[in-house]
Amino acid sequence: MRVVIAEDAAMMREGLVRLLTDRGFEVCAAVADAEALRSAIAATVPDVAIVDIRMPPTHTDEGLRAAIDIRRDHPGVGVLVFSQHVETRYATRLLADRPSGVGYLLKDRVADVADFVDALTRVANGGTALDPEVVGHLMRAGRDTTGLASLTPREREVLALMAEGRSNAGIAAALVITPGVVEKHVANIFAKLGLPASDNDNRRVLAVLRHVGG
Amino acid sequence: MTGDNEPMTALRAPFTTPALRRAVFCVAGVVTAVAVLAVPAIVPASGVLILWGTGAFSSRPAPVVAPVFLVLFPLTIVLLVVLAVPLGRALGAAQRALADRLLGEQVAAADRPGWRAVGYALLKVPLAVPEGYGAFCYVFGLVNLSYPVWWPLFRNHPPGTVLGPVRALTPFGTIATRTFAGTFLIAAAGLAMLLVAPWLMRAGTTLDLAAMRRLLGPRRLAERVRELQASRARAIDDAAAMMRRLERDLHDGAQVRLATLAMNLGMATEKLGADGPPPDLAQARELVALAHRGAKDALAELRDLVRGIHPPVLDNGLGDALATLGTSSAIPVAVTVELPDRPAPAIETIAYFCAAELLANAAKHSRATRIELAVVRSGAGLLLSVEDDGVGGADPHGAGLSGLAGRIGVVDGRMRVRSPAGGPTRVEIELPTHV
Repeated sequence: MRVVIAEDAAMMREGLVRLLTDRGFEVCAAVADAEALRSAIAATVPDVAIVDIRMPPTHTDEGLRAAIDIRRDHPGVGVLVFSQHVETRYATRLLADRPSGVGYLLKDRVADVADFVDALTRVANGGTALDPEVVGHLMRAGRDTTGLASLTPREREVLALMAEGRSNAGIAAALVITPGVVEKHVANIFAKLGLPASDNDNRRVLAVLRHVGG
Repeated sequence: MTGDNEPMTALRAPFTTPALRRAVFCVAGVVTAVAVLAVPAIVPASGVLILWGTGAFSSRPAPVVAPVFLVLFPLTIVLLVVLAVPLGRALGAAQRALADRLLGEQVAAADRPGWRAVGYALLKVPLAVPEGYGAFCYVFGLVNLSYPVWWPLFRNHPPGTVLGPVRALTPFGTIATRTFAGTFLIAAAGLAMLLVAPWLMRAGTTLDLAAMRRLLGPRRLAERVRELQASRARAIDDAAAMMRRLERDLHDGAQVRLATLAMNLGMATEKLGADGPPPDLAQARELVALAHRGAKDALAELRDLVRGIHPPVLDNGLGDALATLGTSSAIPVAVTVELPDRPAPAIETIAYFCAAELLANAAKHSRATRIELAVVRSGAGLLLSVEDDGVGGADPHGAGLSGLAGRIGVVDGRMRVRSPAGGPTRVEIELPTHV
């Protein structure tokens, strides 16, 4: 799987290159700013790009803007936005048109290598990976208005993992239950929240996010 | 002026340009005072003039004056009320201009002086007394001094002619003389008047300037409010900028290091495997070593950051903190701290960061070989001074020094920079001991 990395902190960039190479990814380019990222994407058209939000020259959100451009110009390239802190507003902007081939994770998540690689692979394959932090924010914000109160604690756990972009199999593995049980929980959640049931993971994420995020 | 040529100064004082300018200011002051006195009399006087002009006074029986004054009196009051403020303002502006042109004293203008300017106009009448007296002594002192010069030119009548005495004006009445010798007495009186005149005029103008500052200048409270508003805005900006810098330092520094450290440890964990013999011990060792180094770097970076927020050694007092600061400077620093007691913590912090910035500036720009850093008691506050033997040319309006001045302005501190081209540079910062 081919990856482009855009990260301005050299230490972090080299660490990522090492980690991904070790895990069998092919790192096509590792760059330090948004301009270089745009050219690298155009030149190599990778499966997925890891993009730091804050990069030179302004150190604000140039990574995010580059990510949105890439999603528009290269729909086939998955984009995993990577940041020191998560902003729900950024997640909404990122998911605005379609929740496929996109991810938004805290940098801390690289500590759990397997989870991180799993999320990256999901994004590269057109799936979604939202940081539990973002999902938590959204669910706390939607707690009172969206019928989340009617869910059992287990169903809320399943809903959160679903919103992160995980498949039924992924959810089953994370909660150590059988896929059949997951399916039952999912059906209950959709019924309780009044959402149209869907087998497609991405559409499911969108439905859930629209519901909790208003 | 030094003490040993004081008599010469006193003798020369009347004949300097400033004395002449001061005399002009005093004469103008007298004219102004007369004008102030004349204003309330204008309307009644014109009434009297009209009555006289129409021949009313010469007619018999005596003219009926009462109705005329019944009209003129209220008219005068109304005109005075309406015109007092604009007239006072105009007079104040004219006086400030005169003080600027003739005395070289700038009086800051109040926003709208209003009734305070009227107060000044009224005060101008008593103020004009010493000014007028001084101007009188100045002018007639010169005149009296000249009597012996023109006596032989005009008093050359044939012997036996009886002439009236010649009179001269002095502050203590007139002197009359019939002889040439007597003119020297007049000249002596003139000299005395001339020597006294500058001091009289100076006393008058000093009082006048004080009155101007009080009544025409901005109110002290208003001025203070403006100062405080400016310094508060600066304090808020500074605090916000500091938080931003802090966030940036943490984000780009310690946070990145810790995330990388976590990543390396995560990879090492995988290399060690869940149980049993590790699948890749060599790589795991390398990753742990990398993580170890990363942790140490993160600690060092956090330590620097913490010292930048508040150097812990400052808790022991400015002496210890500045000594420590001095040892970390590239240029040798001699540190002297002589304070009878400790200033407020906020003042110590400001003094410390001022010293740090000035030392950094010196290291960057001065090419000095040694620096003297001193903090001493000065009046109710403290005086921080940094002097180097470098090339000078520091710009007090440059970003660094003016930023420093802004920050100490928040606690009413003052900064003086003396840095001629070629050096040396001395920066003095005065701070209160308490906020």
